[in-house]
Amino acid sequence: MTIALPDTALHRRAGSLTRHINSGVVIFLVLFAAVALKQPSYIEPAGFMNFLRRAAPLGVLAAGQVFVLVSGGFDLSVGSLITLSVLGASMITGGDPSLTGAAIAALYGIGVAVGLINGIAVAFLKVPSIIATLGTLLSVNGVAMMWSGGSPRGYLPDNFRAFGRFVFRDVPLVGQLPLSVIVLAIVAVLAWWGLHGTVFGRRVFAVGDNPRAAELAGIRVDLTRISAFVISALSAVTAGIMLGGFGGVSTDVGQGLELQAIAACVIGGAQLMGGRGSITGVVFGALSLFALFTLLNLLGLPQALRDTAQGLILISAVASGAYRQRTGG
Amino acid sequence: MTSVLSPALEMIGISKSFPGVRALEDVSFECRPGEVHAICGENGAGKSTLMKILGGIYRPDGGEIRIKGQPASFAHPVEARRAGIGIIHQELSLLPDRSVAENIVLGAEPTRRGVLDRTAMRAGAREILARLQSSIEVDARAGDLSLAEQQMVEIAKALASKPSILVMDEPTAALDDSEASRLLDLVRRLRRDSVAVVYVSHRMPEIAAISDRVTVLKDGRKVLTDRTEAMPTGRLVRCMVGRDLEEFFPPRGAADGGVLLQVNEGGNATISDINLTVRRGEVVGVAGLEGAGKSALARAIFGDRPFTRGTMQLNGQPFAPRSSRDGIRAGVGFLPDDRKREGLALGQSLRDNAALTLRAFARALALPSAGAMGNLTLDQRLRALDVRAARFDDPIRLLSGGNQQKVIIARWLARDPQLLIFAEPTRGIDVAAKAAIYAIIRDLANRGRGILMISSDLPEVVGVSDRVVVMHEGRIVGECPSGASEEDVMALAVGHGGSVAEPASACGS
Repeated sequence: MTIALPDTALHRRAGSLTRHINSGVVIFLVLFAAVALKQPSYIEPAGFMNFLRRAAPLGVLAAGQVFVLVSGGFDLSVGSLITLSVLGASMITGGDPSLTGAAIAALYGIGVAVGLINGIAVAFLKVPSIIATLGTLLSVNGVAMMWSGGSPRGYLPDNFRAFGRFVFRDVPLVGQLPLSVIVLAIVAVLAWWGLHGTVFGRRVFAVGDNPRAAELAGIRVDLTRISAFVISALSAVTAGIMLGGFGGVSTDVGQGLELQAIAACVIGGAQLMGGRGSITGVVFGALSLFALFTLLNLLGLPQALRDTAQGLILISAVASGAYRQRTGG
Repeated sequence: MTSVLSPALEMIGISKSFPGVRALEDVSFECRPGEVHAICGENGAGKSTLMKILGGIYRPDGGEIRIKGQPASFAHPVEARRAGIGIIHQELSLLPDRSVAENIVLGAEPTRRGVLDRTAMRAGAREILARLQSSIEVDARAGDLSLAEQQMVEIAKALASKPSILVMDEPTAALDDSEASRLLDLVRRLRRDSVAVVYVSHRMPEIAAISDRVTVLKDGRKVLTDRTEAMPTGRLVRCMVGRDLEEFFPPRGAADGGVLLQVNEGGNATISDINLTVRRGEVVGVAGLEGAGKSALARAIFGDRPFTRGTMQLNGQPFAPRSSRDGIRAGVGFLPDDRKREGLALGQSLRDNAALTLRAFARALALPSAGAMGNLTLDQRLRALDVRAARFDDPIRLLSGGNQQKVIIARWLARDPQLLIFAEPTRGIDVAAKAAIYAIIRDLANRGRGILMISSDLPEVVGVSDRVVVMHEGRIVGECPSGASEEDVMALAVGHGGSVAEPASACGS
């Protein structure tokens, strides 16, 4: 068995240079530098923390979405699930702070249910995930509208809104520390553990890379996919709770967030069609996207340009991913 | 009678490599107008690659194609068709939801003032089908037709462009005898119309019946071209398989353990009446042509596409896996024939691929590197199999086919299965790595595992196995003991009984 095999060392060396630098981190640094140039207050602790606070829900959402993307699917239902969470919370609590705990428990219950429906439709009914979750998007939105009677009603109690708006003051080093940043940190650590620190996470990668090979190796592909959708739905409920604290109750609070989350993942190096992605990447991807929105704002460009920019980012990020794949880098 | 004419088609010195394999090396042949030129060879000899180059699907690395003496090169199948080449591929390529007529004229639809002329389209399609003496309705949906009818439509489609060169890649594979004989009649008529016909097949009787000359390919090289009259079937078969690779295969073991796997009257939609025994310490080869049901047999035993009839016993215990997971749990491993599509997570690292089955059965929330999934253990396994890679955390797609296969072997060895099913273990793997994989297979058998080796590669199946089971059309049609010749196996595989080999064949049914 001492036979020389064709050498692919050249290939390897070219790959090793780029593989440890995350695109999300680089893009974030560039964009945030631009933001800071335009508005220096952003690099002061208070400004930075405020930036993080507002970007936190997107980060949480992306950290859940990436499980589905890595498993080879899409979850388009998260935006409407956020809307349902906010409207549902106001309907359940009716402004009564003593019901906050019950409301949160109920919301996570709804999240698990929506995740299961998505997962079962994809894993057992073999509906392509982009269609299945588009269907759930419509249904969940419908449920939210029906429940609330079509218009935002009621109030969220202050203890519920704390997750989005409470800020710890006089914290050493950073001065102030928003609760939502802590939530983001906890979610990021949990998601990192789930995706990179467990056998389950490695299965998600294998399923997304090649479901057939995973199945023939004995992996329960269906259960792995369903779990990914449940995780994504739970992150959407968490993001919804945070967003409820930001603004008030509205019927369009979650609108468009599903695509923002996917864009954030792609900026962070996750591959649509599965098999590649990292939590560090997508969290920085979310911060990058938010930095870009901030920059567009500071430049005085109209809000509508956000959507245009986001669309272009999605296409160019996916195109560059496809290019990397083609060139084997 | 046609030798005075200049060739309609010449392929000169064609070479083509794919990563890790040399598919064609310096292959030349020519076909004159009104000639039927048969190309034959074993599976993997390079026939289909050569035809795909002719059809503009692959570009050759070297060599030249000449049409009527003029050099030609095709960047796209459409260019080949414009040059007068009609191709009937082995794999069907009809649009299932379009009508027969639409499929036949596809890409060359008749138009009147820029609008599709349906009347002309249907009339044209009907005329071509009539020439084929086929009664297929032109308005039928292509997807509703039987496989044989679809093959007819495929042929009609190739004829629609009135090619001067017609390539038929195993056109009778899906046809029954009467359909096949009608097709051969058609080939004779085309020959009278001065069409140059390149006929790829490994059905000996057809080649003898219809071709004027025959070119034999072996391992991507041309063995010879000769007049068909000068090539009795026995000589043809020897040309296709004869080769000297004895030292290549590891010595067989003498171990005769107990019965490991027993299949009784197993069957499902693709295979039937399967009776098979695999003993510990034994390598059982399964031979047969493409589509004979070898792969289906492997999948049925593993549990991926289970048997729906019959029973199995593994180690004396009833064994009825409903999924690959069941099969693995009971102690069976399966190395799929299509490594890229079914074996590998290409973007994941060597280690991840090697740990895949361990992780499938580990606790979900365990550390991915817990226990035997740790890097040290994995690396040891990979090194023990002599996997060559710069780093074991590189994506596995960077590896050569042989190394990839070794990683999959490492994946299974981690579970220590009792029965390992190798499907086409060395397909697309270079010669050096092949020898290594044969050694691994034999070593596993010597250590008391049972091995079932599915292979379309005759020298391999004959050289490695302790005995060879031959399949034809979904059934086991015979068994050859160790030391049987490739001719014996081939004769059974082509459904030819034992009549090919001159000395009485050692094979029984």
